[in-house]
Amino acid sequence: MTRELGVVGAGTTGQGIVQTAAHAGIDVIFCEKSEESVNEALEAITVALDREIERWGMTKTDKTVILSRIRGTTAPEELKGAPLVIEAVSDNLTLKSKVFSALDSVLPPETILVTNTSSLSITQLAAVTNRPDRVVGMHFLSPVPKRPLVEVVRGLHTSDETVRLAKEFATEIKKTAIEVFEYPGFVTTRLILPLLNEAMHVVMEGVASASDVDTAMTLGYNFPSGPLEVADRMGLDEVLLWMEHLFHELGDLKYRPCPLLRKMVRAGELGVKTGKGFFVYDEAGRRVKSHP
Amino acid sequence: MIVLVLNCGSSSVKFQLIRTSLEDIEAGTEEKLGRGIIGKIGMTTATVAFEAEGRPPVRETPVILEHRVAIERVLSLLTDPDVGVIKDRSEIGAVGHRVVHGGEKFAQSQLITEEVLREIVECIELAPLHNPHNVRGYEIARELLPDVPHVAVFDTAFHQTVPEHAYLYGLPMVLYRRHGIRRYGFHGSSHRYLTARMERLLGRPRTEFNLITCHLGNGCSVTAVQHGRSIDTSMGFTPLEGLVMGTRSGDLDPAVILHVMAKEELTLHEANTLLNKHSGLIGVSGISNDMRELIKEAQRGDQHAQTAIDLFCYRLKKYISAYYGVLGGADAVVFAGGIGENAAVVRERSCDGLESLGMIMDPKRNEELNGREGRISTDDSPVGIYVVLTDEEMVIARDTARAIAGNL
Repeated sequence: MTRELGVVGAGTTGQGIVQTAAHAGIDVIFCEKSEESVNEALEAITVALDREIERWGMTKTDKTVILSRIRGTTAPEELKGAPLVIEAVSDNLTLKSKVFSALDSVLPPETILVTNTSSLSITQLAAVTNRPDRVVGMHFLSPVPKRPLVEVVRGLHTSDETVRLAKEFATEIKKTAIEVFEYPGFVTTRLILPLLNEAMHVVMEGVASASDVDTAMTLGYNFPSGPLEVADRMGLDEVLLWMEHLFHELGDLKYRPCPLLRKMVRAGELGVKTGKGFFVYDEAGRRVKSHP
Repeated sequence: MIVLVLNCGSSSVKFQLIRTSLEDIEAGTEEKLGRGIIGKIGMTTATVAFEAEGRPPVRETPVILEHRVAIERVLSLLTDPDVGVIKDRSEIGAVGHRVVHGGEKFAQSQLITEEVLREIVECIELAPLHNPHNVRGYEIARELLPDVPHVAVFDTAFHQTVPEHAYLYGLPMVLYRRHGIRRYGFHGSSHRYLTARMERLLGRPRTEFNLITCHLGNGCSVTAVQHGRSIDTSMGFTPLEGLVMGTRSGDLDPAVILHVMAKEELTLHEANTLLNKHSGLIGVSGISNDMRELIKEAQRGDQHAQTAIDLFCYRLKKYISAYYGVLGGADAVVFAGGIGENAAVVRERSCDGLESLGMIMDPKRNEELNGREGRISTDDSPVGIYVVLTDEEMVIARDTARAIAGNL
């Protein structure tokens, strides 16, 4: 059983991983670039736990126990006691390569390096280390504490043992793991993006309103939320980046970003984070129902 | 024989060392040698508290990350030359384990065999929060004390005599057959202890009286005991049903939770925590789940605290009245557990107005009797009202001795 976990990069996803693992009883040490960022991350996790208490999801005692298992640092070498270290910095190859190369030099050779990426190549990241067999991808979905799925991604050189340990870790933190081979977009991203993109085309072509498109999918196919609201929650700029990445990697026209998406991103309508995308949102991220 | 009683929870191990035998049970000469609790297992500052007869008490906060280390610590405390009570672990003649759920398989305590263990594991689905830790505790104890018998004592066993019309819910029968959805009842060891104790206090065999036993602790339940057998109990499929408790709602219209889940967009987990951890006394008062604190606040005039106490006592009164009818009359009402043994005001309020059923409280006796055993009704009250200090560990120790003697 994993007793300690290292996490590098405590942005939204990193915080989610830290919180989830600590909740499952694992001691977590996370690394950020400055004291200030460490404190910001701890503060954000505290706020997230308070929100859980408000929603009756946990008690104050649970919160105290979880926080007591979390420690922040600015020194990556402090992660060397953890058998598994997850990198969760921004999804950018240059940045991730730099982090991986640094971790490879300070962590013991047996440590498993995990990258949390939704689309980048594990093989390419593994190539900057001296342990390509012990590099594996784990794609957590957002928000991490609420999504019970993780994609465990094999690179070309990832060993069976590494994949086994990554899946075992996923089970420990109460996630269901699916195993995927490295390929642009894996399963989740590759399937959801064309759906979102097609929904935007339907709106752009004047076939139906954004609201009716979402109603069609929620009521017609029992989706918990419609594709356009999902896109708004992901951030339309992110959706555009991923679409461009898939289009670039695979070259198929079905991944060509919808022109309406480009237009909205240029106009600064990025979804929930700017308060407006296909729909309007309040500061707490709740959708504001329009009055016809 | 010396019996080690173990109660393993998710992050705690409670234990007692009790000297008992069939003769001791008969003569009432059992002896408690030591007791303790290891809490906050899994954290770097676990809490250890241990007290043995005539020895200095132990309080420490070591690093205890898992149950194995905790149970090893239990054995080292018991055998410690300065604070312990036995010289060597070989003096322990048997281990009695508290197991929360025995399903429909176990109406009695069991000597744990491979077969019994397999069936306890099968009950995990019914008690996913408790049985896994009970099983883990057994497995570790078996490794550390391999040569002595281990006995499982179930919280549900005493209620296996509840008849079908009281244990079934008004739901499609297929749910009972498919998923075992029925009333199981809990706190069985406590209700059994109270029944046995009342034999002594009433001076009659249990086959000659009916009782309403109220176990009011962190969790609360009431049982209708007819001639020594449980015929109905307030907790149900899980310990959530029945009385208002410290953090649990007890009875409510099941449609409420469906409605709230939709309105507040709650997940199953959130709804479960809402009902089990954020409701009851703490949910209603917004102050505390501790009755002592609420009584203090209510005396100071806090309306929320008063409302929580009102709800608690009213629900209890409803159950006492209902079980009086179910039993066709009762000989005694028994209060036990932290609240039942110490909160005179709760006892008074929950029997208030039940004079017509023959329950006549003596206010002075009730006020004076706290943390002690005795009668709190008037001498001529047709139904006796009693306070009894419950002792689940003693039941586990006794059953362990009986199971080994093949005399359950």
